[in-house]
Amino acid sequence: MAWRRLGITLLVILSLLGILAYGFSRDPRYIPTPLIGSPAPNFTLTLFNGKTLKLEDLRGKAVFLNIWASWCPPCREEARELEVAWQNLKEKDTVFLGVNIQDTKQDAQDFIKQFGITYPNGRDPSGRIAVDYGVWGIPETFFIDPQGRITYKHVGTLGWPIIHSKLDEARRRVVSAKEGKGSYQPIR
Amino acid sequence: MLWMLSCIPALSLGTGPTDLEEQVRVIAAELRCPVCQNLSVADSPSELAQQMRAIIDSQLREGKSPEQVRAYFVSKYGEWVLLSPTPRGFSLLLWILPYIALAGGILFVIFIVRRWVQNRPKGRPSEADPDLIQRVRRELATETAWDVAIDVEGPQGTLMRERARLYTELRELEFDFQAGRLSKLDYEEMRHGYEAQATAILKDLDALPPATPPQLAAKIAPEGRENGQLPSSVNVVPRRVWIFAAIAIFLLIFGVTLGIFLGKSLRLRTSPEDSITGDFLTGTGNESRPSPPEIEGTDIGALLNRGRAAFEQKQWPQAIEAFKKVLSMEANHPDAHAYMGLILAGAGHVDSAMLAFNRALTSDPNHALALWGSGMVLFRQKDDANGARQNLKKLLTLLPPGAHKEQIRKTLLEMGKGEGKGEIKQTKKTADHRIQGVITIDPKLQATHQGGGILFIIARRAATQGGPPLAVKRIASPTFPLSYSLSKENMMIPGSSFAGRVNIVVRLDKDGDPLTRGAGDIIGNYHKNPVEIGSQNVDIVLNEGGQ
Repeated sequence: MAWRRLGITLLVILSLLGILAYGFSRDPRYIPTPLIGSPAPNFTLTLFNGKTLKLEDLRGKAVFLNIWASWCPPCREEARELEVAWQNLKEKDTVFLGVNIQDTKQDAQDFIKQFGITYPNGRDPSGRIAVDYGVWGIPETFFIDPQGRITYKHVGTLGWPIIHSKLDEARRRVVSAKEGKGSYQPIR
Repeated sequence: MLWMLSCIPALSLGTGPTDLEEQVRVIAAELRCPVCQNLSVADSPSELAQQMRAIIDSQLREGKSPEQVRAYFVSKYGEWVLLSPTPRGFSLLLWILPYIALAGGILFVIFIVRRWVQNRPKGRPSEADPDLIQRVRRELATETAWDVAIDVEGPQGTLMRERARLYTELRELEFDFQAGRLSKLDYEEMRHGYEAQATAILKDLDALPPATPPQLAAKIAPEGRENGQLPSSVNVVPRRVWIFAAIAIFLLIFGVTLGIFLGKSLRLRTSPEDSITGDFLTGTGNESRPSPPEIEGTDIGALLNRGRAAFEQKQWPQAIEAFKKVLSMEANHPDAHAYMGLILAGAGHVDSAMLAFNRALTSDPNHALALWGSGMVLFRQKDDANGARQNLKKLLTLLPPGAHKEQIRKTLLEMGKGEGKGEIKQTKKTADHRIQGVITIDPKLQATHQGGGILFIIARRAATQGGPPLAVKRIASPTFPLSYSLSKENMMIPGSSFAGRVNIVVRLDKDGDPLTRGAGDIIGNYHKNPVEIGSQNVDIVLNEGGQ
């Protein structure tokens, strides 16, 4: 009888502690995406060099779509790494594409100049692309396969190993089971 | 009919802009703002919420129904975006859980009440044997049955303890009645109940064989028996002890856990929109805090202090806002210009930083912070050693003796050395203060590398032997080929010059401890060491060790 009582008491305590631990260990800002495995929303982007680019024109190549802002510290953190990755991968049926959000044109251009970014970049002044991709914390990166399907999403900074492996998966049309997370900045 | 229904949203839109605005507001009120804490898109002042409201407006104008607009946002942000999730799948649990909890609570109360009623004395005197009732009253008067052998095991011990408990209750009942705390009706009812229970116990006791002498040998006399009090603790206390012990354990564990989790997962709010949660455990550090709110106040001194505090805590947006506010009130304030210069220099806006320092120095030619800032920018980023020396020498004459003065002397010495070795010229020559290349692993050692481990890319000055490296980059769980770049940000001693010739070594460390070299570590040296900082294609093969 005493053991039973002890068991029930411990069960109740542990359940409450479990709920408490779960509540504290999850990021209240984190929003899981429903987009992995879905077709990437199409958009037309006016690039900083004046040209326009349609996402659907990139079919047949793996697309690395990075959404960023100049005021976001994690975006600055990864900027050089992305350019190095682009230099290494541009010959391999891969396109890097940057979408600047919630920023001024001047700040965005200064950022591109400062970090020596050479891959195509454009602005999303209305925020439509950001909402279409369910963006909430930047940098946010979407890996899109040659058929135009999102295979992986990463919220926050990413490095060469993830860029390389996830682009390789995108080229092979392998859809990741879940999204990744690094250090991020909530958008405004 | 269906056609008519499908026309309803379009018709309702046609009634005027106010209706459209109202419809936008209604839909926005149902959507959760993705960057706020528990605010709807309608209530949030954030830029994203404004953009979402504009999208709702444009979709309604295109003739989409509110359901379609809601479905659009759900397809982008998931069910999370709905403040009232649809009662389907897992969300259904959220809707029914409160009712389940309510039903559970009611059942629990019913259970407790029933148990309480069952435990109340019951039975009428007519149902009990009059002889046994007489015996109960006799024993109660003579107190012969209150000795309880605590070490008597089995059913006999249990019954004896129960008998002692009932006698205690009867004695207390009598006392309460005599003291006028009970009505006669209640007293009689309860007394009959206890007596009936006691007679049942006596019956059971009589049916059992008598206890053996050793079992009864260790009888104890209850405390306070001489005063007519009963050993109420014999049966009741252990149960209470259990309850108290359980509560104490729960409170202790709860308190400790709460202390640990709260300490690790809460942080100070920097703004009303900021969350207090989400730090250590959730992996979002200080940089994930949203921009602070607009700073209010017109006291320049207070604003400067606030700006300096924010600057020291590296809260750049807050610092910038404070200094901008100062400058809006006093356009030539040297402190605000100097701090703005430092922030701009830190963000890489060298020319804007120099402009800010020059403004500060125009207002106050002896402004120490501006002299220091412009000197360092000229030296480190503009490669203008003469201009830098001029500023720092002036600063040297202004500062009192101390650590700052010493540091400036050291910087001036460093400038001299740099010029002597032609380092500054070299940095001018190279487009970038970086070393870049690709690291690969020898195919023979590829098999021993099972993934994981930490890769250290180490740069040591070519002229020095031993001592700390100039720069180290650490990469966890690398995959090869690995493209790397080593820059000023990877320097071990910030502030020293990242130029000249260095030896580059890479080590794939199995245990991840940079200070120990294990047997499984794989090492690679650049075959053309030493190399100039700024070189490209410094490709290294990991080809030593790994046994």
